[in-house]
Amino acid sequence: MRALRSSALKLSVGYIGLGLVALVLFAAPLWYAWRVTIEDSRTAIFQADAQRMAEIYQRQGPQALARFVSTRVGMQIPSERLLLFADPQLKPLAGNLGGWPAQVPTASGSYNLQLRLDGRLTEVSLVHLQLAGGYHLLVGRDSALYVPLERGFWYALLGAAVILSTFGALGGILIRRALLARIHLMRQTVSAIMLGDLTHRLPASPVGDELNTLSQTINGMLNQIEQLVHGVRNVSNAIAHDLRTPLAELRVRLEELSLMRPSPEHTFAEIEAAVSDVDRVISIFNALLRLAEIDSGTRRSGFVPVDLGKVATAAVDFYQPAGELKGVRLHLLRADCAPVRGDPLLLAQAISNLIDNALKYTPAGGSIAVSVQRRTDQRIEVCVADSGPGIAATDRKKVTERFYRGDASRGTPGVGLGLSLVDAVARLHGTTLELLDNRPGLRASMALGQDTRPTERPASAAPKPGELEHEPVYL
Amino acid sequence: MKVLFVEDNERVTQFVLKGLAESGHRADHASNGRDAMSLAASELYDAIVLDRMLPGDIDGLAIIEALRKAGQRTPILILSALSDVDERIRGLRAGGDDYLTKPFAFGELLARLDALTRRAEGQSVQTRLELGDLRMDLLTRKVTRGERDIALQPREFKLLEYLMRHANQVVTRTMLLEHVWDYHFDPQTNLIDVHISKLRQKIDADFDRPLLRTVRNAGYTLTSQE
Repeated sequence: MRALRSSALKLSVGYIGLGLVALVLFAAPLWYAWRVTIEDSRTAIFQADAQRMAEIYQRQGPQALARFVSTRVGMQIPSERLLLFADPQLKPLAGNLGGWPAQVPTASGSYNLQLRLDGRLTEVSLVHLQLAGGYHLLVGRDSALYVPLERGFWYALLGAAVILSTFGALGGILIRRALLARIHLMRQTVSAIMLGDLTHRLPASPVGDELNTLSQTINGMLNQIEQLVHGVRNVSNAIAHDLRTPLAELRVRLEELSLMRPSPEHTFAEIEAAVSDVDRVISIFNALLRLAEIDSGTRRSGFVPVDLGKVATAAVDFYQPAGELKGVRLHLLRADCAPVRGDPLLLAQAISNLIDNALKYTPAGGSIAVSVQRRTDQRIEVCVADSGPGIAATDRKKVTERFYRGDASRGTPGVGLGLSLVDAVARLHGTTLELLDNRPGLRASMALGQDTRPTERPASAAPKPGELEHEPVYL
Repeated sequence: MKVLFVEDNERVTQFVLKGLAESGHRADHASNGRDAMSLAASELYDAIVLDRMLPGDIDGLAIIEALRKAGQRTPILILSALSDVDERIRGLRAGGDDYLTKPFAFGELLARLDALTRRAEGQSVQTRLELGDLRMDLLTRKVTRGERDIALQPREFKLLEYLMRHANQVVTRTMLLEHVWDYHFDPQTNLIDVHISKLRQKIDADFDRPLLRTVRNAGYTLTSQE
């Protein structure tokens, strides 16, 4: 039953059927031509022959015709042509038939009949001509002569059909075998992957046939799935660690309260601390949900033209007081008009995170330079460069991992998701976050492709002052 | 004000109803979509607070759409555990006026309700804002307090403008982030406090009576009252 459902088999059965139909379509006109054209012209020849003999009869009388018929019969190869000349009583006068066949109707005309000739029943086509004076003339041909030819035709046709079916079936089986072998291999691989081993890949040679292309596509999908699963695993480990800590603190706090029953003032202070513990957990959750949202790529559908220069200006403006408070010089080095297509909210958050991160690590007296500029390759580069301790080259890959916190960050606030969010936003916009040595300090940058579409009104995370009250831009 | 609170979680309901009563507001409660519709049709409310996830898998958005279709114009605040920005946009498109993500602080809810109901009281196009001796001219962008001119940065001007438009109301940090900076995300810093203290330096430092006050556990308020 499974073999019957195989697509290769269905395909070859279809092809065989199609071949047979083609064969029939080819044979039918031949058959028709045979049947109609040749038979008709044959009858016409008999009629002309009969007519000629009738003329001999008319001009020279029955004896002359009998002689003529006898000569004709004597000359020809036996049984090719039937000839009979009979008197009004249907008694044969000359010809190669033993007696007048009873089946022949008395009226003149051409007939196809079954006659017994030389002891065998055979198909005969005849022309019967009634001559003046009651004489009868029969001219005909034994069709049995053509039977072998006709049979040969049918045999050839049948043979062609058999060859067609055999080769079709054989081809189908071979194709099915080859296909099944490869599909079986693919199935085995996929089953192994479903069992949890994501390192397997489908065999795919660079030859670009359909199955290879399919394998390559599936491999690409597997790469992505592996990466995602890997990310999820890392994150769940990290969540377990980073969420448990505040939750454990919270639990201790609450348990202590319920056991110790301290003074109301102390109780309220503890409750407030508990609320901020919860807020911390919530903020981790929010950051994770946002990361998941970005990773899913759904935000890409909401891309609009954004002026990165304006976004960076607004972010620097927002963090300025924090810089002043810490004694760090935060300045906007350059803000070209930089049209890109993207998510204004996420880009604003990414730049904010970069500045926030720089502010966290740059000591008092240091400086942070933010710039947005069009590079010579027409890509638009956002860069936040600080004069802090920087990140060791070996750690640079790790800092974008979720919940990774470098040694320098121990004891500073934050959940260790800032740079992974920037990285995720960069990837969503088709680029990567690059971390370089600023000698000294960290130089974080991402280069976005320019928005080449004819611009609508660029949306910016920072609308002109006073604009918002009347026209809220909900991001 | 009189509020219709639509929510099926009992604990949250008790917490909010008690808080509203303590702040001197009246509130009705509906725990499902049908009750919400009939209450909204028979009573006159200043605002409706509606949870998105209601019993029987009813999306609160469907109720908002039905209410709006029936000509109901009461301001609606949507409560939701869904924080995606897209969800927020969907909520506002369906006819909601504001969107608050669960879990929320009661102060945040109250401040937003306050802002919603006052906005509904009608806002004509103003060119001057005044609060006590603090004056703001929106056309010349000049700010004065008493006889003295106060020079403000554009962003400070915007911050003060928002506070003045919501004078005598509590304004939360999130509301300021969303409306002054248009940042619909949590930058995880106390920067708003820093901005406020800079503004306070400029408008309150040399005067006897401070206008810009901090409201504990909630946010800020700009008021000339005692």
